[in-house]
Amino acid sequence: MVSTILIAICVPLLAFAIGLTFIMFKLKITARVQRRYGPPIIQPIYNLLKLLLKEDNISHGVIFSLGPIIALAGSILAVFFIPIPGLNLLTGSGDLIALLYIMAIGSLGMALGAGNTANPNASIGISRALTLMFGYDLPLVIIVISVILQYHTTNLADIVAAQANGHWTLWTLPLSAIVGFVVTYGALGEHPFDIITAPHEVATGPMVEYGGKHLGFLMINHMFHIYIEIALFVDLFLGGASNLFWFYIKMFGVFFIMMLCDEVFLRFKIDDAVRFFWKWPTVVALISLIIVLVK
Amino acid sequence: MNMSLELLLATPFIGGLLTYIGGKVHRWVRNLIAVLFSLATVGEMAMYYNTTFKGVVWGSLFGSNLVLQTNPITWLFLFIVTAISLLVIVFSIDDMKKEEDEIVLDSYYMQLLFVEGAMVGIVLAGDLITFFMFWEIMSWTSYFLIVHGGKKSMAAGYKYIIMSVIGAYAMFIAIAMLYAKTHSLVYSDVALALSQASPSFIIWTVVLLSVGFFVKAAVMPLHTWLPDAHSEAPSPVSPLLSGVLIKMGAYGLFIVFYGLLSVNLAKNIMPSVFSTPILLYIIQWLAALSIVLATFLAIMQEDAKRLLAYSSVSQIGYVVLGLATGTSLGVAGGLFHALNHAIFKGLLFLAVGAVIYRTGTRNMSELGGLVKKMPFTFTALLLGIIALAGVPPLNGFVSKWMIYEALIQKKEVFLLIMAFVGSTGAFLYVYRLIHSLFLGQLPEKYENVKDVPILMQIPIWILALSTIVYGIFPGLAMDVIVKGMKLFGFTPIAYNLFGFPEGTAMGSLTVINIAAVLMTAFVAVFIIFILFPKTRQVSQYDNYASGQELTPDFKYNYSFGFYMSFGRVIKPILSMSIERVYNYWIDAFKIFGDYYMRRIYTGNLETYNSYIVIVVTIAAAAVLLGGKLW
Repeated sequence: MVSTILIAICVPLLAFAIGLTFIMFKLKITARVQRRYGPPIIQPIYNLLKLLLKEDNISHGVIFSLGPIIALAGSILAVFFIPIPGLNLLTGSGDLIALLYIMAIGSLGMALGAGNTANPNASIGISRALTLMFGYDLPLVIIVISVILQYHTTNLADIVAAQANGHWTLWTLPLSAIVGFVVTYGALGEHPFDIITAPHEVATGPMVEYGGKHLGFLMINHMFHIYIEIALFVDLFLGGASNLFWFYIKMFGVFFIMMLCDEVFLRFKIDDAVRFFWKWPTVVALISLIIVLVK
Repeated sequence: MNMSLELLLATPFIGGLLTYIGGKVHRWVRNLIAVLFSLATVGEMAMYYNTTFKGVVWGSLFGSNLVLQTNPITWLFLFIVTAISLLVIVFSIDDMKKEEDEIVLDSYYMQLLFVEGAMVGIVLAGDLITFFMFWEIMSWTSYFLIVHGGKKSMAAGYKYIIMSVIGAYAMFIAIAMLYAKTHSLVYSDVALALSQASPSFIIWTVVLLSVGFFVKAAVMPLHTWLPDAHSEAPSPVSPLLSGVLIKMGAYGLFIVFYGLLSVNLAKNIMPSVFSTPILLYIIQWLAALSIVLATFLAIMQEDAKRLLAYSSVSQIGYVVLGLATGTSLGVAGGLFHALNHAIFKGLLFLAVGAVIYRTGTRNMSELGGLVKKMPFTFTALLLGIIALAGVPPLNGFVSKWMIYEALIQKKEVFLLIMAFVGSTGAFLYVYRLIHSLFLGQLPEKYENVKDVPILMQIPIWILALSTIVYGIFPGLAMDVIVKGMKLFGFTPIAYNLFGFPEGTAMGSLTVINIAAVLMTAFVAVFIIFILFPKTRQVSQYDNYASGQELTPDFKYNYSFGFYMSFGRVIKPILSMSIERVYNYWIDAFKIFGDYYMRRIYTGNLETYNSYIVIVVTIAAAAVLLGGKLW
């Protein structure tokens, strides 16, 4: 019982910590790619504390305040369904398919909160977010199906176990893994898929009216979001890990490559982003799926 | 006990007649009778929980017995029919008050009860004659209900009844073919006859019957009547149509494929694809196309009820897709989704009906910000959209999950992709619905809007709680479904009260764990949130707007053409229309009629007189020449 409570508290904290360190490195990586020195490495902690401890927090209604809370609760729920080294957590209570839908709770909460403002930027941001989600969802489900068929199970813990001893999905299904990377990258909303927040067009989109602790909670939610997307990628394609250290290293490796990509792209138009996802990633994912079916 | 099946069938009809008479006394007498009789139907239905009766003969026609029967599967549909009807009647009491003409209202309640009775008859039928009789009563009475919705609804109802009649003709031909073969249309006799019939005979009858069911279930390409009829019908009628009436098509498919025809027989007479008989496989594809295309269309709608109507086409696709898989898991998922869809679509239509009741419009871009004025309706609608989008822990998720798992087991990957895409697309249109109605800026004219009266809230809340109950305790419904499917020769699937245990061929799911963790996380985050400095409420116009001052006379948030950029992506798909093909044929018939028929039916009295003269002359000549007329 005690260990259950301990796990219940520590796992979200771990996810938060991993997400936080990634945000820290992100600023540094960006700066170095642009040949700058960059801010101190703990700058994101200052930012977060500043937001959370602000004395004046404004709200545009109950749903506006509940939005970040629902989003964060949904993200914490999703964390429990992604196996981490040594712990399968709740993977028995909901499989990979359930996880895909659990991951949507967070976005729904954020959309609800942001929608409850009279600001055009917020509603345009949500419209873009949902459209983009529809875009990357098509290749995502195709690669998820190919992974499920490859291992004959929908249980994420079993999928991780089946990749033991270096039989990573990355080697057995390289095409799916590449698409998986693109989709994860799109889901994180970095360039060229930063259509949702696009500061020059819609002034950070859904977040436009948020400030103070509300924005702080959304930042925490973003850290969880980074953890969820990348941990899922590592579990599906890089064989999970035998201990937390390697898990972190693998996740960081994926994140590092993503941050390098972030620096070299411009921004898509929203319909072009959907067209992109429905063209090349979908075609490649389908080829991979057919390979699995034939094999 | 034998009498009571007939009593169950008769109750709504008697209630309907008494309601009409009661309306002549006073409107409250009428309302009371309507509610009491639909309540009585629910009570009688509840007595048959998990019981099986094979055949109560209640008459005979053309030498074939007319039979009533019940088993757990029929109980599931009885439950949907009677429960939603009761809620709809309760909701109507306040919603239809705006109708000035009491005589119209008298017939409205009578027709509501008649539709309910007809659907009870369809479900209880143990032979095809009873089935067809009540099927036709259902079509006609529901037509009269649809045309209560005002001028536009006339055209919608006309379209509905024409397509229903075409479907009914197809069914009638199939039933006549079967009658010619067996001279008894009791299900068991028909099943026996089909097992010895030639493959081509079986395929023809099954296809013809399916056409009738497809029209009613609005499976593409026979769905064109639904968006018009469901959106133009009065608000309380839409949940009955969308939640219940289209399920009769799904029930019919179930009876034909698993009652009259068994999967094994179907496999023997036709080739199989993915170990599914080819006919069922084609139905799966039609259902999957319905799911995707109707989702795209729902995303682009501007009218709240039309959005929900297209969503119904998409969701019934899941039901039919599940039913057509032919495996225990898939069929159970399809049946469960029929129940779940009735619950959440009923809820959504009633909640949107509540908004229409208060604001008088269903045009989404004219609404907004109602969450402050109608918080209860908002919460209920929120539960409804979460259930529809298939997000755990509410009910729509569980049944969709079962259908996905069934498709994974059969390795039907392309159908699976389409089912997934439809579900993600559902996020887009359900968010559009809640955003345009309840979030964003409140237009000035709705400043004084209140939440709806209690009699309208009760049905909404019963349905909203059901989405939670059936989501967390899927075992409640699976008890009935699994028991019923055993009678049709399916192997039972493993389940428990909270979901599906580990260690079986499919994935595992325990919804209560998901719900518990979500609630705990929510409470924890909420407590942490309020520990930080307090929030201050500000006006919606106190905004980040680059220093510009905002005024209430202008709408700032974006609600018209919400997914315009997505619309550009799917433009090639949106420009296709099966309706244009139908209209082409209609025009062709019109030209034919105008050109040739007008030569004979000129509309000129003199022409008709001359026809009479000609006929009489020929007859007289025939008699005079010694012939006989008859």
